[in-house]
Amino acid sequence: MTSRAVSSPPAALPTSGSGPQPPWEFKGVVRLTRIGTTYIISTVVLAVSAINTGNNALYIAVSFMLGCLLLSGIASKSGLSHLDVEITGIDEAWAGKPAPGILHVRNRSRVWNVRDVILTGDALAAPVLVPIVPRRGEKVVYSDFLFPRRGRAHVNRIDSYTRYPFGFFLKKRRLRIDSEVIVFPHIRSSESVEERFRAEKGEQTSVVRRGLGTDTHSFRDYTAGDSMRHVAWKKSANAGRWIIKQTAADAARSINVVVNPYRPPGTSDERFEEMISEAATFIFHAATRGVDITLSLPRVNVRARESESPEALFRALALLEPLHEPVTLDGRNAVVFAVGGGHHDAKSA
Amino acid sequence: MTRKAREIETLLLTMYAALPLYLTHVIRPLPVILFHVVMAGIALRVALGRGTELISPRLMRWLAVIYVPFYVIDVAIISRSAIAASTHLVLFIAIYQPIESMQRTNQAQRLLTSTLIFIASLATSTHVTAMLFVLTFAFLMLRQLMYLSHLDTVRAVSREYNASPSGRSAAYYLLGAALIGAVLFPLLPRIKNPFVQGLTSSLPGASSTLGDSIDFREQRVALPDSTLVARVWMDMEARPFFAPVRLRGPIYDRYEEGEWKQAAKGLRERGGRDGTFVIARPRGVEREAVVQLIPQRGMLLLPVGTFLVSGLEGKLYEGPAPETWYTYNEALTHFTVRMAYEQEPLRLTRVTPVSYPIRPEIATLAQSIVGDEARPAQRAALIERYLVSNFRYVPNSVPVRKPMTIEEFLLRERGGHCEYFAAGMAVLLTALDVPARVVGGYYGGRLNPITGYYTLRRSDAHAWTEVWDGTRWATFDSTPPSLRPGTQAVNLLREYLATLTDSVTFIWDRYVLTFGLADQVALLSDLITWTKESIATLRERLASDSRAVASLPFLTIAAVLIALGLVAILVARRRRPLFEALAEVLAQHGVEVNDAMTMDEALERLRREKPAVADTLMPLIAMYEEERFSAHSDARRAADIRRRLAELQT
Repeated sequence: MTSRAVSSPPAALPTSGSGPQPPWEFKGVVRLTRIGTTYIISTVVLAVSAINTGNNALYIAVSFMLGCLLLSGIASKSGLSHLDVEITGIDEAWAGKPAPGILHVRNRSRVWNVRDVILTGDALAAPVLVPIVPRRGEKVVYSDFLFPRRGRAHVNRIDSYTRYPFGFFLKKRRLRIDSEVIVFPHIRSSESVEERFRAEKGEQTSVVRRGLGTDTHSFRDYTAGDSMRHVAWKKSANAGRWIIKQTAADAARSINVVVNPYRPPGTSDERFEEMISEAATFIFHAATRGVDITLSLPRVNVRARESESPEALFRALALLEPLHEPVTLDGRNAVVFAVGGGHHDAKSA
Repeated sequence: MTRKAREIETLLLTMYAALPLYLTHVIRPLPVILFHVVMAGIALRVALGRGTELISPRLMRWLAVIYVPFYVIDVAIISRSAIAASTHLVLFIAIYQPIESMQRTNQAQRLLTSTLIFIASLATSTHVTAMLFVLTFAFLMLRQLMYLSHLDTVRAVSREYNASPSGRSAAYYLLGAALIGAVLFPLLPRIKNPFVQGLTSSLPGASSTLGDSIDFREQRVALPDSTLVARVWMDMEARPFFAPVRLRGPIYDRYEEGEWKQAAKGLRERGGRDGTFVIARPRGVEREAVVQLIPQRGMLLLPVGTFLVSGLEGKLYEGPAPETWYTYNEALTHFTVRMAYEQEPLRLTRVTPVSYPIRPEIATLAQSIVGDEARPAQRAALIERYLVSNFRYVPNSVPVRKPMTIEEFLLRERGGHCEYFAAGMAVLLTALDVPARVVGGYYGGRLNPITGYYTLRRSDAHAWTEVWDGTRWATFDSTPPSLRPGTQAVNLLREYLATLTDSVTFIWDRYVLTFGLADQVALLSDLITWTKESIATLRERLASDSRAVASLPFLTIAAVLIALGLVAILVARRRRPLFEALAEVLAQHGVEVNDAMTMDEALERLRREKPAVADTLMPLIAMYEEERFSAHSDARRAADIRRRLAELQT
């Protein structure tokens, strides 16, 4: 079997939400830092001294210190309020695994450069430090994103923090973004599906028919990407839908995977997700072995040939919603995944 | 910039903050020298890559423990000043901290210490060059703060130190903060605590060239000294009567054991109202002058002819010698005086001649000068003319061979400095039984054509004579006029530069150092008065001639008013960001939106509380989101949102 170009999910990074609360996270919009507190106390003491003594040299110092304080507040607020963030470049995102992506941080301000901005959010695997975003400029930051669950993930906010310029205040602004990422199911280790492959290999051996590779072996429903040359026109006419003719050679290098999304009452979400994850893991490792994979779901079949990326299969699994009514799927000659219903046993389901 | 460079910069910043301590004499130079030597040693070690532990941390800790009782001893015995002892303490802490920094991070504390040293230095600085010091220090401090802020940020995300360029940014922020500071400075209320007299300093040159007494038995050499004593501003109308300026200081009206002294009559507080004090009764032409001076040992030098002092902060005392005035405030003082060509004492005064032992030769000389003249003022005028014509002036800076007595000056040498002339005239008048006294002060000064004031420096110290004419003390000066202070030839270029420099320092002294609550009130009052007068004038002119509408002043005022109105309208109707406009509507429905919240989140919250309102606002928020996050802003869409928001609010 030839291996297919399937990128392996990278190792997981610690999430931003793990452990004690990071020092920059707080409720509200602004927090006085220790330096800021010291500075304000010093200014107040100096102001009292100035008033007490009527010393104009001290008044100069007080004016200047107040100027710095004011400017610091204006700079940090104005800087952050002109920031925009956009997320691009997340080609493949796997649940629970960091996915590389690109953050485009734009500063729309005509006046203020923004420095030392920390970006954090539920979707970011770790806080991102942007050293400088020049005024009316853009900074491209490569970052890892982390999505805990498969499915359609909406990234609609990122929190920005800065102490710039003098560290008196820690300012926060929640940036609204509008980004959607399809998160593929969580991929487990290969050991969890090895047993399946052993069973499947044996079955493949037994199901291989004699004859030329071009001999008709079986028929199946049409899936996207099938060549029209393989359509069994007579059977299609009889069945009222397109039927594809499979040759013996094709059958030997192909696996049908059936995922039954029925979630029986009393079954937890976690169990359902585990089942999806198991199916995805199976498909992932099957794809690396270079076989054609057909994924059968209610009302849709998705196929990935040997030379094609199985992305469509994972996308379909990512978006699969649990059904609360039992469905019947043709599980003959297929590896079946269902909640609580066994796997190979469910072929006749 | 590397960490090493940053560390050196921090050390240099602390050292720099202490530099003015050499000049302002808050503490003696030795502790400052010691401080700089140790800090330089630490900086050198850092430069060589050997860390800041010049002294072992353990020893330093012991020294810190010992310093606690030492501070008390310092206050009570060594310095005898809490300010000086506290400055010593801060310098010690400044040395301790870099050594301590090897054990724990204390960058912020170090900057605070530098600021304290800076304040100690600044509090007693009075020269305009202090601004250069302030700006340089502020630049370095802002750089350090930005660096510290950056360091805290990278630590917060557990990243490696990544130096951010902050030199240009620091300069940028320095400019901004300086501008805001300049605007704030005159607006900060100058409410002075009446129970605290204020920080006073031994200002450079505070010691007077005017002594408490004149002793001709001692050699006296006065070197040229350009230290500023006072500035006196008077307008063109006052100058013919009161220029050259004569600032009156100590009065020597008692002769005792070969020494001319001031008669002590005790200290009396002069009653006044709102900082205005009447000190004499005017006669003749009256004019006004503004005086700015540093009271020397608390003494107020008033122009000759002064009968009223106003705008003085604090109390005014007469004495211990009569007609000498003190405020006991050594800070730069600014006040206004009214002068009269002649002025009489407020109360009846009994005046007697000085008890000087008159030798017969002196009496003969005096009589020969005045002849048959019996009127005291005329006698004084004759003697003045005699001395001016027949005696030569020897400048203070040229030492005579040995100290001489007045008799020797009058009878043999016939030459000496101004004190000899003044005392000689007083002795001659005393020989004629006319009360006369010697007055020390400053004379002349240079007129600054840019600012219109006379600058009097220490080199303008002078002495003259006052003669009692029966009702008042009249001023006579027997020193030849061409040889009095301020009459020497000057280098034009140097004079021009001096004038320019002095103008800057005048503005600094007047509008920064002495800017007080009275100035703030005066500023506001002037503004109100000007507005009222302008309106009244315009109304009058319009009533008499309608064509005055087209006059320049009217058009100027109209243009200013229109501009102000437009600004007010723009401010009132300024285009607030859409976010704020939406937030206002949401706030009306009980959902406060801040920077830490997106509009979607706010809408969700509103939906939970007021679903119907949320449904109404949802399309608007959707439009806002579209406008906010689309690549190109659509003015029509933004206007549409604003219009709908306005409709909602009405």
